Amino acid sequence: MREEQNTDRKPPPQIWAIGGGKGGAGKSVVSTILAFWLSRMGKRTVLVDVDLGGANLHTLLGIKSPLKTLNDFITKKSEALEDICIDTEAQNLRLISGASDVLSLANPHFSQKVKLINHFSRLDADYVMLDLGAGTSFNVLDFFLAANKKIIVLTPEPTSIQNAYIFVRNAVYRKLSRLSSKTPSLQALIKTAMDPKNVLKIQTVKRLLQFIEESGGKDVMDVLKKEIEKIRLTVITNMARDNKEKNAGRIVQIVAEKYLTIQSTELFSVSYDRQIRAMVSDMSPLIKIDQSSHAFADIYEIASKLL
Amino acid sequence: MDDRIVRQDTVVTRIIDGSITIDSLKEFENLLKIFPDNPGVHRVFANFLAQEKPFDAVDNYRISANFFIQAGQILQAIVSKIFEWRLAKPSHQEEQEFYSDLHKGSSKEVPVQRFFAGLTVEQLIAFMNELTPRYVPAQSMVKKFGNRETHLSFVVSGALEQTTHHPLKKDEKVREKTKKDLMENDFFGEIYPFEEEKVSQTVIKTITRVELAEISKSMLTKICRQYHDVEPLVDRLHQARLESDEKKFSKIVRKTVRHQFPTQVNLKVFQDHKDRAPLELSGFTDDISLGGASVILSAKYQIGHSFNLIGRNVKIQMCLPIESIAINMLGTVVWAKDVPLEGKTTAIVGIQFKEMTDTDRELLKEYCYGSEGEQNLIWSLWNSLLEK
Repeated sequence: MREEQNTDRKPPPQIWAIGGGKGGAGKSVVSTILAFWLSRMGKRTVLVDVDLGGANLHTLLGIKSPLKTLNDFITKKSEALEDICIDTEAQNLRLISGASDVLSLANPHFSQKVKLINHFSRLDADYVMLDLGAGTSFNVLDFFLAANKKIIVLTPEPTSIQNAYIFVRNAVYRKLSRLSSKTPSLQALIKTAMDPKNVLKIQTVKRLLQFIEESGGKDVMDVLKKEIEKIRLTVITNMARDNKEKNAGRIVQIVAEKYLTIQSTELFSVSYDRQIRAMVSDMSPLIKIDQSSHAFADIYEIASKLL
Repeated sequence: MDDRIVRQDTVVTRIIDGSITIDSLKEFENLLKIFPDNPGVHRVFANFLAQEKPFDAVDNYRISANFFIQAGQILQAIVSKIFEWRLAKPSHQEEQEFYSDLHKGSSKEVPVQRFFAGLTVEQLIAFMNELTPRYVPAQSMVKKFGNRETHLSFVVSGALEQTTHHPLKKDEKVREKTKKDLMENDFFGEIYPFEEEKVSQTVIKTITRVELAEISKSMLTKICRQYHDVEPLVDRLHQARLESDEKKFSKIVRKTVRHQFPTQVNLKVFQDHKDRAPLELSGFTDDISLGGASVILSAKYQIGHSFNLIGRNVKIQMCLPIESIAINMLGTVVWAKDVPLEGKTTAIVGIQFKEMTDTDRELLKEYCYGSEGEQNLIWSLWNSLLEK
């Protein structure tokens, strides 16, 4: 098996996760085209449908019913992730299909997620692209936080921007909560702070860090602050119809900097493209898109810059 | 009424800024069923009662001040208390208790809060005695360029636009202008240092109706002479304003009002007769609490007099954008008001929730308690960066 051969010398693949809250922002489309361009650039890429409750990425690649899915790996029908990778029509691009048929997998235990993440990093690939499901459940957030590159996709609509921001905010709190899992009092404080109407009036991450410092926990505060600084976001505004709409991602950047103390955010945008909408509706494989598509070109540029 | 305001400001905000007028005791009582712990609604109710029922007004000013303190809104609590004490003179003990409550709920996130938190009880009372609240209508000029600076003004509610004309720099032919929006807890007035006579370099106009609390330079100087440790607090306030003017956000954040994102709602309003099919309506809600919500019906409905809906039972389906799911509740229409929207007349209905599952209650709780500051900033940036 290729997965086992990979354990010795080759560097582990870079894991990119694509999330952003509500469905409909175009996460799956952006993941698919991004993965396609990486593969065209000669990078061995595995696209993984991590929407464990409603997987459908295979349809964007023109695969009607995948013979193997993540379910086979989780239920131990297949021993290695390599065994469930499906070749696609694009060279260097393989797919691991999600497990939409087993609803119980929509909420795997944390240890199951850790196991999955470890296996992703043992895949024989240069890049592993995780297309996360909608929502901000712990399930989605844990995969997002484990990735080397954390990509948010949103559209230029107020609710989409709000969802994307809440996704990032919940990811920060989830990270702080996991970091404090061995210190119950700190974890309780973090959980309290997540309710913005808490009695302690801690309404932002910034204020939470101040509170910890004022309570004599400067060392703890420093550690948490450094961990938040490690969160580097890539925000992609999808379906932007003009230059003004490209600013949607900037809103998440500014609010996350002010309220969550996230210092580093890269911004990109993808043009609105009628052709893509039509292809998704017709269930045509996205990798067969007309090369003149603006969105396709935008994602090529993003892929080149993110490499 | 401006449709843009209808769509973006919450119903409570519009009641507070006067763009929706509530003119009967019954209407206020129904509104308070939906917003029982909203300090702004209690405050407007107290204003309504002040002339006819001063004793009831005192109670509502007191309730309003307490809720403002709980929400960390010190300036607003102080203004409610000023009105309460104008109607019922406080005892020394009441002054002490208010001061103590104010400090218990004291947040120091903004300069105004730090200023008030720094005063002793005597200084606070002296300050409150000279602080004069006043309402200024929407789209009004508050200060012209070149006016003498005579007052320090605090924004209690509403939003204003401040345009600053910067001095000409070398090789510049036109003065640079920067715009900034002022919202509640902001302040303006170049009255410090006291010995300098200044003229305004800014033009300040209201965007919505605004409530200001003002103190004259001469009275503030007098207080500072009487209590020497007040002047350093005024100095800090002045410095904070200078610093905030330099911040990058001030140039891009435009309209800044409290906001919860509109939430899509479908309603089934049950009729009096069992045989008649329920009325199916849709709209969006922006004021939601665990106890109820106000829903602005879509402009396409011509439902006639909205007050006919009062007392009807209603099934509510609310689509929460955060989790992409809908929650269902049963409730009763307790308040309704006709309003213009998109050139037509539609209605705002206030619904008191009666029944919902524990799961839906938890989801609603999570949704309602989203941080106000974050939502306000997202919305302000939306207005300044994306709105066409």
